[in-house]
Amino acid sequence: MRPRSRIDYQLEDKFDVVLFLSVFLLTGIGLVAIYSATLNNPSASGNFGKQLFWVGVSTSIFFITYFASPRSFSLVSVPAYIVTVLLLVAVIFVGKKVYGQRCWIDIGFFNMQPSEFAKVGTVLFLSTFLSREKTNIESIWSIISGFAIGFIPVVLILMEPDMGTALVFISLTVVLVFWKGISLFGLFTMISPGLAVFSSMFGTVAFIICLVAIAAALFFFKKKLIISGAIFALNVSAGYLFNIAFKYLSPHQKQLIETFVDPNADPLGSGYNAIQAKVAIGSGGLLGKGYLMGNQTQLRFIPEQWTDFIFCVIGEEFGLIGSLIVVCLFFFLFFRLLKIAASAREKSEFNSLVTVGTLAILFTHFAINVGMTVGIMPIIGVPLPFLSYGGSSLMTNTFLVGIVANIYRNRKQYT
Amino acid sequence: MNNNRALLVIFVLIIFFAALLIKLFDIQIRKHDDFDYYAKNQQIEKKVIRAERGFIYDRNGELLAYDRNDVSFFVDTRMAKDKDIDSLSSIFSRVFGNSKSYYRNKLKNPASKVVCLEKKAPAELAVKLKDVKINGLFSKEDPTRIYSYDNLASHVLGYVGNSYEGIDGVEKYYNKVLTGTDGNMIIERDVKGRMVTVSEDATVQPVPGENLVLTIDKSYQKILEEELRKGLEQFQSNAAIGIIMDPNTGEILALANMPDYNPNKYGASSDAIRRNRALTDTYEPGSTFKSITISTLFDKHLIKGNESVYAENGKFRYRNVNITDSHKLQWLTVREVIEQSSNIGMAKLIGKIDDDSFYKYLRNYGFGNYSFIDLPGESRGTLKKPGNFNELTQAFMSFGYEVSVTPIQIATAYAALVNGGTLYQPHLLKRVTSRDGSVKEEFTPKPLRNVIRKETSDRIKNLLVGVIENGTAKTAKLDRVTAGGKTGTSQQLINNKYSSSSYNSSFVGFFPADKPKVVCYILVNSPQVGRYGGLVAAPIFKNVAERLIAADINLISGTKLKDDEKTKFEKVITASEKVSQNRKYADVPQNSQARNYSVSRPSVLNKSFMPDLSSYNLRDAVAVLLELGIKYKIEGSGKVVSQSLPSGTRIRPGLFCQLKCVEKKLTGARIN
Repeated sequence: MRPRSRIDYQLEDKFDVVLFLSVFLLTGIGLVAIYSATLNNPSASGNFGKQLFWVGVSTSIFFITYFASPRSFSLVSVPAYIVTVLLLVAVIFVGKKVYGQRCWIDIGFFNMQPSEFAKVGTVLFLSTFLSREKTNIESIWSIISGFAIGFIPVVLILMEPDMGTALVFISLTVVLVFWKGISLFGLFTMISPGLAVFSSMFGTVAFIICLVAIAAALFFFKKKLIISGAIFALNVSAGYLFNIAFKYLSPHQKQLIETFVDPNADPLGSGYNAIQAKVAIGSGGLLGKGYLMGNQTQLRFIPEQWTDFIFCVIGEEFGLIGSLIVVCLFFFLFFRLLKIAASAREKSEFNSLVTVGTLAILFTHFAINVGMTVGIMPIIGVPLPFLSYGGSSLMTNTFLVGIVANIYRNRKQYT
Repeated sequence: MNNNRALLVIFVLIIFFAALLIKLFDIQIRKHDDFDYYAKNQQIEKKVIRAERGFIYDRNGELLAYDRNDVSFFVDTRMAKDKDIDSLSSIFSRVFGNSKSYYRNKLKNPASKVVCLEKKAPAELAVKLKDVKINGLFSKEDPTRIYSYDNLASHVLGYVGNSYEGIDGVEKYYNKVLTGTDGNMIIERDVKGRMVTVSEDATVQPVPGENLVLTIDKSYQKILEEELRKGLEQFQSNAAIGIIMDPNTGEILALANMPDYNPNKYGASSDAIRRNRALTDTYEPGSTFKSITISTLFDKHLIKGNESVYAENGKFRYRNVNITDSHKLQWLTVREVIEQSSNIGMAKLIGKIDDDSFYKYLRNYGFGNYSFIDLPGESRGTLKKPGNFNELTQAFMSFGYEVSVTPIQIATAYAALVNGGTLYQPHLLKRVTSRDGSVKEEFTPKPLRNVIRKETSDRIKNLLVGVIENGTAKTAKLDRVTAGGKTGTSQQLINNKYSSSSYNSSFVGFFPADKPKVVCYILVNSPQVGRYGGLVAAPIFKNVAERLIAADINLISGTKLKDDEKTKFEKVITASEKVSQNRKYADVPQNSQARNYSVSRPSVLNKSFMPDLSSYNLRDAVAVLLELGIKYKIEGSGKVVSQSLPSGTRIRPGLFCQLKCVEKKLTGARIN
């Protein structure tokens, strides 16, 4: 008998190289940029070393997750959700106050950011909930329960307050519900009040235009008049309620919104970061000023640049070429995630939802962060995944990518 | 359905990706220059390094004006907290000596956001504050122009304004030369405004302004100013002007207006006082003009020296106006017309020349036109054109009316009158040197034209010597050398009427008569004591001239001396055998009243060897020792009889000399 030949596995069969490489390169670029951003800043001189440590820890997390049992994720989803939500409650009471926000819990050797870990809990639990056989996304109760799972962390995070991270959770919830298959009308009903609020920030004219668009959409859906009327009324009142709520916002938050509407209105005040970020990126030009040569960065015109404004370092020192490389790596990652999510759907709805949830989280971070540095989004502080300095964020993101890698590894076992 | 949703997600991703690409291209490529400019603008500061203004020296290298590197201190009170104000007031109080509350009150003044705590603090004090770092405190280089001798030559030097540009005098005229080229350096600042780096390559060093060496002689200027000031007091006048000029080159050796002002504090004086009236103000010159008008007749061979004219006993009806003389005179020779300054005689003689030639001569002397002296604000006076002459014009002009001139024009014309007939452009700048002392530009005398023949010039000089020897200016007679000159007394035009109480008393003199080295112009405005130029301006001339000779024996060396002076002068020459011709002995304040100019004191001194001081006045001897830098001890008083340091000893630092003096009786007017 001829001996049976071994099945010849390709590396790509078990390991998604594109996924891994893009995350690996982004993290590396992040280290390079953090080194430059902290080089001339005495208050942040240890940050590069710390980040290097977290990269090591995260690499371990990635591979542990990658090799973990495929079933473990749905098993831990409920406890993970409960623990992280409890941490979010805890941070409101025992959190360390930095710049008026309580986002961190000091646990001795590092400051933990519960809102980061809550992403893992929420993604897993909401995916578990939505992939249950009992869940019927067309039923109002399922929709409300789904949104409730997503919005409990949102409310808690808004109490820190951390508007950027709350937005990430909103986006996560909407995307998961959407991916599960909610009807367009249902989705529209859930999202349109948000649009109404957003447009009302830009004044009455924008608000009225938005309402007209909503009315047109309602006409297009051809629902009963009473339902259409109720939804329209909901939108109008959302806009008005926001204007009333606006008066009760803290001055800091009011200014965030006002700065977004016109960043040049107060160049030395809240618009400062918006302008300085654009100046850094814009002055980088095509090829950049050279590594460690970016004046905006080295002369510290952008505060705490190693966190939320890390993209400016790349834009300034490596120019358009550098920023395009980063943007492209992100899009390789996003398309890869979308592909895995789409292909996993047939076999395991849970896996598909977790993957799309990961995509929603990373993309929202990316869009808000890069969007604000180039001026197409308001200045809302969220870190840029894999690049910004910060242990909690890096560990959370690599864990999520690790789950996706695990899903990819086991994609054939669900037939 | 599911595929549609994935497509929708792809669609959203692509839309965002496209938006991001467009935006990145927009700010990194399209608006790159704008952002780059903005970035550099906030990061890089081009700091001007101020160029030092050139210095001003007199002809012998005496420093008359220079820059002092002062520093001004300011505090931005919006940045200074109470604690900072406390420490600021105590530090400033310690360094500058004012009370703490003085600074505290300044800082607490709510009206001002930026307070100047100390303006123009001297660099030696400012350096003490170099390392003081307090919120809101900043300093600025704020150099001060210093005029070493305060009022000395104020009208020549002028002054600089707040922004350091010349406002008057040579400071204004040569502002471009004096102003250097500012340099700059590129400074990189971080977000808090702290200096991070200075780009060495891009730094442009400032080029300091060039130095002016003036033709002014500080010791002449000092003598002239002192004598004018004394004259002002003595004759109770409100203003006086003096000009000393080298007739052979047109160099201004001294130029003064009284009252003068201190250019260090120019704000304290009115515009009227700061005006250089020697060139801005015109007047009718009166009799000083006669020597000029008579020269035209000689030059055209229209009169002879022995010609006579009848002076009508002091009153002459000429074409329905009266011309009067101050004395009743009868038949006068041409010489006597000038010596006695007869208006009637002049009016009669001048008829011999035609209007056109007359005008041409006066024009050639420079009247009715700028003298082009290198000072700002000059007037040209008025000289009527022949077409505008009426039947009286020529006669009145002959004795200095119906023509208006500036003092500088008269001095310049007299220079031509006595130097052989060449009109030189008056000038103040001798050379321009760079900061390291090398000569950038040397100015040579600028002869403009020959106005009269040499013979005419000699004849006029001869006549003018007569004015001092026999005529109206006997008060100007010098002790040791023959001088010439002409008095002038003109009524001032006040409200278009000739005043009977306000006069301009003037005198223009020159010496030595045979080969003039100095022309000296004196004008006293409205003297209350005395009226005539011969009584007011001429004595001032004499005092100035005597002191000039005492200060600078070179002025009369090699010229024909008066007989009784000759022997003494030779003594001087022997006494200072080793004298170098150019080094002058600095002037020691002299009492002009004293007739006994110590001829034995060599006014020229060789600074490398110990002179023989025996028979020196004690005061003079001490001055010599001071000049040489020798320490001394005095025994007794009066005249030096012995010195411990033998003459001929080579001078070196740290020498000591003991002088023994005894009182000696002076015999006669002159000492031996």
